[in-house]
Formats: sequence, C-alpha cells, structure tokens
Amino acid sequence: MPNLMMTSKLPLEQWISDAVAWLTQNWAGFFNLIQQLGQGVMDGLTGFLIAIPMPLMIAGLTIIAIVTSPKKWGFPVLVLAGLGLVANQGLWNDLMNTTTLVVMASAVSLIVGIPLGIIMAKSVKTEAIVKPILDFMQTMPAFVYLIPAVAFFGIGVVPGVFASVIFALPPVVNFTNLGIQQVPVALVEAADSFGSTTWQKLFKLELPNAKNTIIAGIKQTIMLALSMVVTASMIGAPGLGRGVLSAVQHADVGSGFVNGIALVILAIIIDRFIQKLDTNPEQVQAVSHGNVRKWIVWGTIVVIALGGVVNGMMSQKATGKKVNIGYVQWDSEVASTNVLAEAMRQHGYNVTMTPLDNAVLWQSLANKQVDATLSAWLPNTHKQLYSKYKNDVSVLGPNLKGVRLGLVVPDYMDVNSISDLTNQANKTIVGIEPGAGIMAAAQKTIDAYPNLSGWQLQASSSGAMSTALDKAYKSKQPIVITGWSPHWMFSKYHLKYLEDPKGTMGTTENINTVVRKDLKKTSPDVYKVMKKFKWSKDDMEQTMLEIQNGKSPEAAAADWIKAHQKQVDQWFD
Amino acid sequence: MPKVEIKHLTKIFGKHQKAALKMVKENRSKDEILEKTGSTVGVYDINLEIETGEIFVIMGLSGSGKSTLIRLLNRLIEPTSGQIFIDGNEITHLNKRQMLEIRRKKMSMVFQNFGLFPHRTLLENTEYGLEVQGVPAEERTRRAEAALNNAKLLSFKDQYPSQLSGGMQQRVGLARALTNDPDVLLMDEAFSALDPLVRREMQDELLDLQANVQKTIIFITHDLNEALRLGDRIAIMKDGQLQQVATGEEILTNPANDYVRSFVEDVDRSRVLVAESIMVPGFTANVDTDGPNVALHRMSKEEVSGLVAITKQRKFLGYLTSDEVVKARKEQKSLRDVVEPMPTVTPDTLIADIMPIIYDAKSPVAVVDEDQRLKGIIIRGAVIEALAATEGDEHNDA
Repeated sequence: MPNLMMTSKLPLEQWISDAVAWLTQNWAGFFNLIQQLGQGVMDGLTGFLIAIPMPLMIAGLTIIAIVTSPKKWGFPVLVLAGLGLVANQGLWNDLMNTTTLVVMASAVSLIVGIPLGIIMAKSVKTEAIVKPILDFMQTMPAFVYLIPAVAFFGIGVVPGVFASVIFALPPVVNFTNLGIQQVPVALVEAADSFGSTTWQKLFKLELPNAKNTIIAGIKQTIMLALSMVVTASMIGAPGLGRGVLSAVQHADVGSGFVNGIALVILAIIIDRFIQKLDTNPEQVQAVSHGNVRKWIVWGTIVVIALGGVVNGMMSQKATGKKVNIGYVQWDSEVASTNVLAEAMRQHGYNVTMTPLDNAVLWQSLANKQVDATLSAWLPNTHKQLYSKYKNDVSVLGPNLKGVRLGLVVPDYMDVNSISDLTNQANKTIVGIEPGAGIMAAAQKTIDAYPNLSGWQLQASSSGAMSTALDKAYKSKQPIVITGWSPHWMFSKYHLKYLEDPKGTMGTTENINTVVRKDLKKTSPDVYKVMKKFKWSKDDMEQTMLEIQNGKSPEAAAADWIKAHQKQVDQWFD
Repeated sequence: MPKVEIKHLTKIFGKHQKAALKMVKENRSKDEILEKTGSTVGVYDINLEIETGEIFVIMGLSGSGKSTLIRLLNRLIEPTSGQIFIDGNEITHLNKRQMLEIRRKKMSMVFQNFGLFPHRTLLENTEYGLEVQGVPAEERTRRAEAALNNAKLLSFKDQYPSQLSGGMQQRVGLARALTNDPDVLLMDEAFSALDPLVRREMQDELLDLQANVQKTIIFITHDLNEALRLGDRIAIMKDGQLQQVATGEEILTNPANDYVRSFVEDVDRSRVLVAESIMVPGFTANVDTDGPNVALHRMSKEEVSGLVAITKQRKFLGYLTSDEVVKARKEQKSLRDVVEPMPTVTPDTLIADIMPIIYDAKSPVAVVDEDQRLKGIIIRGAVIEALAATEGDEHNDA
C-alpha cells in the first residue's frame, strides 16, 4: 500500500478557492442584485418592526397569546414578562433586527425547502441526489458557510441570511419528504381510485396529512436559523448575536447571559406560536367561538401593523451623512470606534458601527462595504492583510502612535526575554482570535526561536485570554500571553513584556486609519474627519478602563468627549 | 355484451419477467419462481366475463393474487400483458387523462381498511370523488348527503372518521364509492376488518342495495361463507391463477380440482369423527355470581333458550333452561337451585357415540375435559350434518 503522505497532496483548497473566486467574479452582478434587494427588504422590515411602538407590540402579542391559548396563563405571562424584560434591558432594537434575520432566513428556507421536499417525496431519483447533499449541509460546521457568504454578498444581514438558509434548510426538506411518504398507502390508493390528479392528491390528501410533520420541520428550521444568529453576527449581521459575540470576546458573563436570555425568550415565543398552527381538526371543532378568536387575532395584527405604519410615517428618518465604521471587538478598538462614532453623531452624522472579524474587516474595506476602520495595526501586526489588500484601500496614517506588541508575562515570573523560555506555562502561549495579526506574529516567533520548539500557540478570544490571565494571576501560576498596549490590563495587573532580541513580535508601531479607496470622492466630509482623527495612548487607556470597570462603551466615550471637547472639535474643523 | 371482460391478464412484479413467464407456463410454483428469478407472479392469464348487475366474488387465500387482480381492473397496478374491456371498450391502452375519467365515472372502490381521509369530515370524505371531478359545491354536497342518508349516517356528517366505529366507517366508504354513481363497484375485502355481527349486517345491506341499484360489483374475500352469501358467481384463485368460476352451489357440488375441494371444506374429514371437531363455544352462566335476571338477560341477548351452568372455578355443573330460570326469579331462588342435569362427553368421544345421547336429551350435550371444565357444547344439527357427510363419503368410496 503506498503511503498517502508520500504522494503529493491534492490541491483541494486551491480548487475550492478558485471555484469560489470564479463564481464571485462572473456572477458579481447577480450577487450584487441579490445583496441590494435583500438589504432593501431587510432594512424595510426591520424599520417597520422598530417603528411599531414597543408597548403596542408587547400588548398586541400578549392579547394574541391570550386568545390563542384559552384558559392557560403561562404563555401570555411569558410573552408579556419576557418581552418586557428584553425592552427593559435596552435590547428591543437588537431583538427586532434578530427577528428580521430569523424571519427572512426561515421564509427563504421554507419557500425553497417545502417544494424541494415534495419533489423528493415524488421522485426516487431526486431523493437519491438531494439526500447526501442535505446530510453534507447539516454536518458541515456552520462557520464554513460564512466564508463564501462574505465572498458573494460581502458583510451585513444578507450573507447572514444566506448562511442561515444553507444551515437551516435541511430539516424542513427532510420532514416534508418524510411526512408525504408517511401518508398511508391505503389513502393514496383511495385518492387514486377516485381519479385524483397528482396535484389534487398533493393538496387534498398528502399535504394536509403531512402537515404536522412539516410543521415539526418548520420549527426545527426556525430554531436552526435562530442559532445561526450568533454565528452570522461575526460577519456583520446586526441583532442580539452581536451582543453574545462581543460578550464572548470580552469574557463578559453578565452581558452574554442577558443577550442569550433575550434569544431564548424569542425562541420560545416563536416556537409556541408555531405550535398553535399544529392542530388536529377535532380539537378545533371542540373549541367554540373559533371565529371570534380568529377575528381578535387578525384584528390585533392589523392594529399592530397600523401602529408601525403610522409611527413610521410620523417619525423623522435619521438624517445626515451616512458612515459605516468597521471594527474588531478588541478592547482598544471598541474604545476608539465608540469615541469617534459618538463624536460624529454629535456633529450630525448618521453612524453605523459594524463589528467584524479582522480578516473580514479588511476584505469589506476592499469591497467598499465598510467606509473606514480605525484599527489597522501597522506595519507589523496586520502586515499580511495589508499586503493582500493594499491596492484596494487607502491608509490615511496613524490615529494613535506608539503601540507595542509582544509576549507578556506577570512580573512574578523570572523570565525576562523570549530566549529565556524553556518549559514554563505548559509550553503554551495563550493567544486571541485566530485571525488577529498578533497571532501571526506569535507563530512567527515560535518558529524563529529554537528554544520555543514544542511550544503551542493557543487561539481563543481577547476576552477569554484576559480571563485566563486573571485566573493565573490570582493563583500566581505562570502564564504567557500575546499582549499589546494600550490595554487596561497593564493598569490592573503587574505585567512585563518579554524582550524580543530577534524582533519577530515587531517593534513599536502605530494604529492607523484605513478607508475604502473612493471615500475621498464620494464622501469628502467623512474622509476629512477620518484623516484628522487622532488621540493618544493615555486617552485610549482611560476610556478602556472605564469600560472595563462596567461603563457602557457609549457612556465611556461620551465622558471622554465631554472632557476633551477641544480636541474633538479639531477633528471636525 | 358483458360489462367487464378480461383477456389473458397477467402481472409479474420485479425484473426478469420473461424468465418468470416461462416458468409459469411450465407450471412451476410461485416460491420456486421467486427464488430463481427474483420476480413474483401477481396474476397469470386471467380470463373472465362479468355481467351487468352481477355480484362477482373472487376468493382465495392471502397471496393468491386477488387484491392484485382488482387493482389491475382500475389500473392502480399496470398490467404486464393482457386486455381489460369495460362495456366493450378496451381500457388497457388508455392514457393517464382518459384513465382518470374511467376512474371518476365508471369505477369506484371500497377498501378493507376503509381508506377514509382522517383530516376530512364524513361529508367531505363522501363528496371527494365529485370534488376531484370539479362538480359544483352545492350539487356535490346534495349528492353526498343523499348517499349518507341512505347509509343512515347523515346526522354524523360533520364528524371525523376517528370518531366512528368500524361499521360506520365502512358505510361511509361505501357511500363515498356510490356518490359517484359508478357502473362498477370494486370491493377489496371490504368487510374483513369488521366484527362478525357487523359483518353480517353489512352483507345484508349490500344485498339490499344491490336489489335497488343494480351495480356490477366485484367483491374480493377470503371467507367462503361471505362468498356463498353474496356471490352470484364465485371465482377461486390460487397462486395468481383461476381454479374455477361457478355459482356457489356448483362449487360445493362439483369442485373442479383437489385444491377447490379442500378449499371449500370447512373442516378436515378425519377430524369430524370426534366431538371436539363439531363443538361450538357454549354460552354460560356462573351460578356463584350471576342471578336469574342476569341469566335471562344473557339468553335474550344471545338468542338462546338455555345456558350451561358453571362455578366460579369454571367447573361444569349442568344446564339452565329458560323456564326454570323464570321460575327461580319468581320464587327468589338462586340459579344453583334450578340447575338441571346435562349429558356430557369428552373431547375425543366419537360422533357415532354421541348420536344416541343427543337423541334423548332435551338440551345440547356438554363437552367436558378430565378436570370437569367446559370445552364447548354440541347441538343436534352439527351431529346430523357430520354423520350425513361421512355416510356420503363411504357411499362414494363403495
């Protein structure tokens, strides 16, 4: 048997990349059309949902819950209390954004999935082809779908929906197929013997009989779409997912749970309402005044919708020049982006902040889907990304000078240089998100220093890293982390950078502002502000510490702006 | 001209049909063909003529191809070869659309397990056949209600099938088939899933109906009694092939071959000679718990004039006549006081020996095992019939 490792490796990665690149180039028009249409529909729907006055919506949904579950108090109380809690936590708009994402992803999945399930049930050949594809789709980790989604549709809610659809489609297809195939042969024979056409059989016998199975599939699909909300937020899908993701990156238990609970409440409400559709006819018969109930439900829905329309017309659209600032959820960037966004809002700009993974952020700048970012660490940390996209973006220069990266240890450890490391801390360097520039530098360092052979670079998130550091610090355990300053941890703990004689972790560098190539032409004002935005390491650490001590980023940014009004005003001259 | 005519109708399931056909012609058995070719012979070379207004019964054991045959008639199963004519028009080569018309107008089917749609009310089930034809709602409701009315189920029209008994469901199945006003009614073991009493009722209803509407009914069953009650003519099938087509009387008197002969004999002659083979379950009264009122109620319910008395331990005691039980009720006695003696035999007593016992007895004879437990009772008619049959046999052998 030939050794597989000896034969040359199949260029599988290359093939897939080429295929996606070909699609992206040749179908660009089609993808852009979908992206624009989708974005328009989603923005419309979200705008409409947000325009509905919150109390009206909560009251309306509670009334519907009361009417649809007579004599049961649990569900209406859950709707009222749950939605009230979400609103109280200030997550209402996020909830509406998430609802839009779930509704669209579910709707597309059902529109594609139910007919596909029917075709599968009717044709053995189709089933043989589609079934393995569905199994493949379901077992592939959902993250993988984000990559082509970004390549095709860029960032935002449309690729989120695209990835969610691929992930959530299989159950509804499988259940539809199963439900139709499970209709007893005797009934199908009966329908045939009376001369039903294929369509008549489908609509009069098979679908009504398969209804409950199909609804079970629909529920699964909706739940999967919900679970994709968090994943999709990595590529800029707005909503509760962002809260969860940011909580993971900052290891913020409280905020993670609050966002999670809001998602749970949404899931339960959707699940219960779908459950109401799952009836058998005899029960319906037993419920008297069925018509009255129906009228109340529809009436309530109409009132809610009217509230949205009226309020939407009355409320002023947010005006001002639009700007979309992309950032990565590192503590440093959260601070700078919030400060600039807050300042620009005060000067009448309509600012959107889009949290993204670092690599996706650069890609989005190159694709002109994000206007600017304040978080390019150059020349070393983001070297790879910069060299990949340098022709498609413009670097406006540093907004903060003198940052430093390196391997960082607590000062109770008796190593001072990277060359001193032998077998401390289980030969592990605790890192952050795998896509971050500092991780590439750390890997390079491990490869460059002979004493680091056998060391591991452990990827996690910036939040998880600071949690690990906190734990080790309190128990005086050795730990090596990928650290950078400005960072609040230097004011919270006694830490030291390890000397880097080979210079692989980079010397001091700057954080730069990078904007899309044509920003100067299309939005000169925004361009000017971006060009002028500058602040110092101390400014940043001040803001970071406030956030670390429990202030919301917006509030911390507002505080800093109040204290530095002059400096801020200079950005807008 | 016959209503339905079938010529050389054959259906083979599976691959290698040619090889299977060849083996059928060589008279190989079904199992052998399946083993050699992997194909199953559904039916082979069926030739039949069925007249208008006839109830034509097709009988056979399970696997004899009778259900396949009936489904070939309305082409729920496509024939491998052969022709089917209805009113002289061949339907075997019709396309899908034309076949739909035939199914909608000419033929309707009633199924063993009723085949009612669980998500539709009785009325919606009954009008289904008209609904797929696109008949206006008012007219189809009118016709469906008339059919339900005939089946005495109109008051249940808004109920769902699961809320009804089996007999009621089958009436709906029949009403649904009749609503289309078809020429030919195909009934696939329509009464086999019902309990015996309801089954008799339905058979009577079918005969009444046939007296009124004169449909051509093709009725499938595996029950000889049902076939004899309903069938104007009976066809007996084995392994997909017809054995005999004749009236019930002819089949009983003149079986075409050994298979038919053994098929129509309810009982094996060699076992007729002992008590066990002709006894029937007896209706009993438990003297330790039942009183005269219960006993009388049971007699009227079961339509008998006497009961076998047993104890709580199911031991045999004797016989209770209706006269004695009535007396007991008047005189406030218990059943134990009015038990009369009853002749008993063991299960292996020869019939010839039972004859004199039963001749003198006023009551049936009880069959009792060695533990004094009641196994069954023997009534006079059974003994006489058994004796007549054995004598006939001896006569034939002589």
